[in-house]
Amino acid sequence: MSRDEILMKLFAEDNKPFALEDIKVAEIAGENFAGAIAGSLLAEFGAKVIRVDFDDEAKKISPYGAEVNGCGIPYLVESRNKELVKFDEKIKKEIMSCDVIIDGMKPGELDSLGIGYRQISERNPGVVYIAVSPYGHFTQKAREFANVPDSDLTAQAYNGYPSIIGNPYLTEKYSYPLKAGMWAAWAMAGINAAVGAMIALIERKKSGKGQFVDVATHDALAVIHAFPTIVGFLFDKPRTRYGTLDFILYPFGYYRVKDGYIALATPTDPDFRALLKIIKRWDLEPDWRYSLDRISDDPVKIKALDDELNKELQKYTVKELVAKARKKSKGKLIGRFLGAPVIVKLNKLQELLKDPHWKVRNSLISFNPDGKEILIPNTAVKMSETPPRIIKILGRELKKS
Amino acid sequence: MTDYFSYVESLFKEGEKREPPLKGIRVVELTHFVFGPNVGRILAQFGAEVVKIETPGEGERYRLAAVFGRYYNRTNLVYGIQNANKYFIAADARNAKAREIIFELAKRADVFVENFRAGLADAMGVGYAQISKVNPKIVYVSCSGFGQYGPLSKAPSFDVAAQGVASLAVKTGWKEIEEFYKLPDYFGDYLPSMMVVFAVLNALYHREKTGKGQYIDVSQTESLVRFLYDIPYFSLTGQEIGKTGNIDPCASPSGIFKTADEKFVAIAIMTEKQFKALASVVEGLKDGERMRKEKIDELNQIVEKWVAKHTLAEILEFAKKLGFPASPVLNDVEVFKDPWRWERKSIVKILDRLYGEIPVTGAFVAMSATPGNTKWIARPVGYHNRLILKKWLGMSDEQIKKLEEEDVIGYWDEQPGCAPPPIWEPDKDPVFKGEKDE
Repeated sequence: MSRDEILMKLFAEDNKPFALEDIKVAEIAGENFAGAIAGSLLAEFGAKVIRVDFDDEAKKISPYGAEVNGCGIPYLVESRNKELVKFDEKIKKEIMSCDVIIDGMKPGELDSLGIGYRQISERNPGVVYIAVSPYGHFTQKAREFANVPDSDLTAQAYNGYPSIIGNPYLTEKYSYPLKAGMWAAWAMAGINAAVGAMIALIERKKSGKGQFVDVATHDALAVIHAFPTIVGFLFDKPRTRYGTLDFILYPFGYYRVKDGYIALATPTDPDFRALLKIIKRWDLEPDWRYSLDRISDDPVKIKALDDELNKELQKYTVKELVAKARKKSKGKLIGRFLGAPVIVKLNKLQELLKDPHWKVRNSLISFNPDGKEILIPNTAVKMSETPPRIIKILGRELKKS
Repeated sequence: MTDYFSYVESLFKEGEKREPPLKGIRVVELTHFVFGPNVGRILAQFGAEVVKIETPGEGERYRLAAVFGRYYNRTNLVYGIQNANKYFIAADARNAKAREIIFELAKRADVFVENFRAGLADAMGVGYAQISKVNPKIVYVSCSGFGQYGPLSKAPSFDVAAQGVASLAVKTGWKEIEEFYKLPDYFGDYLPSMMVVFAVLNALYHREKTGKGQYIDVSQTESLVRFLYDIPYFSLTGQEIGKTGNIDPCASPSGIFKTADEKFVAIAIMTEKQFKALASVVEGLKDGERMRKEKIDELNQIVEKWVAKHTLAEILEFAKKLGFPASPVLNDVEVFKDPWRWERKSIVKILDRLYGEIPVTGAFVAMSATPGNTKWIARPVGYHNRLILKKWLGMSDEQIKKLEEEDVIGYWDEQPGCAPPPIWEPDKDPVFKGEKDE
């Protein structure tokens, strides 16, 4: 058997158990999709997740209002494995008995309904209560901004993210801080919340007790990547937008080539030298400015090198560059530890979808309401004993492929 | 009844505190750069004992990746925070005797993390098959660009590459301008790494019930693709969302606007209720298919003009009073100096034994009974050789000395990022000597 075959057998879903089949979750997240994402992750891993809605507002949120059976795309995607119910008095009792509560509502709202941590933990001390909100459920700021609803874009902004995206050399609004093209802050906050829930559940096995876990979407990125802390301390001066460059590594970005775009990274000097060889610009190597010190602290210097690279790379096709970067050197053992630039094709969405790789890995699943096929991203994790998987979407069981 | 915010605050400030939740969990990592190392960092914030194995001399190469080349006390804070609370061993996995040590450590570990390109850990003799043979209860996780199997699996990856293949990179930027911007600060590493932590904790939870370990495969690209709502949108409409500048296509109006006092504010209207709230102060803002593409542009122009007439503070007051999403666009220094973050302890100052007083990021979430923390930042290459070989493997000073003489284990070379601070004295450091824990 090839390595691929062995692994596919190992990761086969078969009838394996889920990791969280003994866990019951109530997701009361309203329009806060970071909360819904947290619920989705727990649901993918087998927790019984009841999504409780007060109204249909969350269902209406969708790119340009696109709908599937009256339901927006984020709601559709995040409905995975969940039981979808409307809030009523009966469900209150069920919420009270859950192992995990995901509260994505306005801070204090569930408390005022009698289903906040204060009330639930009294009857159910093992409850793990995950609060997801812009500024958290404590601190002066949280209190002051309690009435301001959450959104991914505002969360990105308060994380300091758009300030470093985009090209400062462009004019007018094109030089403004620029948002990340996906729900970057909500996705990160959602995973953070799910990880927080798991830590609390593991701890609960020892202590028998639950606790309050507080996630602030407006800090979810900065607390993870830590760069504002480091830059603030070392430089006392913020980074600005840096166009297509990077603050640490060079080159590390997207380049236009003869017939498209590539992602290019040379994390180390041997990698950079290998790149120079590939594009036949070995003449740049002895240049003291570039040979060792490619630290991107001097935009003028980096720009000069960038111009050279840009010019040179356009002589080659994507295919040529990818092939050259992966060509193995002759000495097998040594080759493995020699430098090589990382070069891959910059995919458009349809190119991504056409790549057979995702089919082999089952990275996308198909949902067929009314005979129309809709592709939905599958769980991103493969596990040999407790494979996470999607069984239903919008409450409907999926057909087994 | 105490008001809600005071009640929650009392839970965090005065509530019962218990032992670190992951105390007793032992992690061994053979990792480099960001994707792999962040897994151990997060687990260590909550009490796991994480041993990182590096090659002697330069250690892993991210040690040299300092922002704008700036070091501090001969350490790199980027690497330092990325690898906080860990123990550092330097043993070259290509050396057979060093591999024995790695195996001995792995035998005693609960979790093993690697992030080489798919198949390389196997070739080095420390893959899942090899490690699970000596420790069947191990939770072994492989982090890679495209996963452990499949046609793309052998391709090398990096944050920027994964974002490119995932078709995420073509989504950030302006339609009119032919440039693509990556999501900065290694989003393509950090997001997937949190996915890994989630999977590892699930595996540990399962192991607690059944005693069984397992193998986990997480790819950067799939973790990013997981959040591309563009995919179902495309199958539904036949259209790509593509680049949308500062518009969130799920929110209308939405964008980043310049205020009267030349600051930037982000506004994103997600619901009808929020729209009505904003429309109550913005003249001319009328609904009617507000989610239509052209309509978003039209509404944004009205908001843009309104924002330009108000200061940032005024707009935030409106947002608080009326209830619509609006936040200032902060920069690095504003984030760093934000009193709210210090109060939440997502940024804290620590007194590091080697590097002195430095600010670091705290735990990634606030937990009322078992708060996480950052105790120390990364140590020089091989700094904990003696401590860990004694503590985990029960080795004697003589045995360790022999390994040093045979170059099985080693220490730093004198590069910044790898070496101790200049004034550090090895003889006066009991942790380095393996006599005392951090």
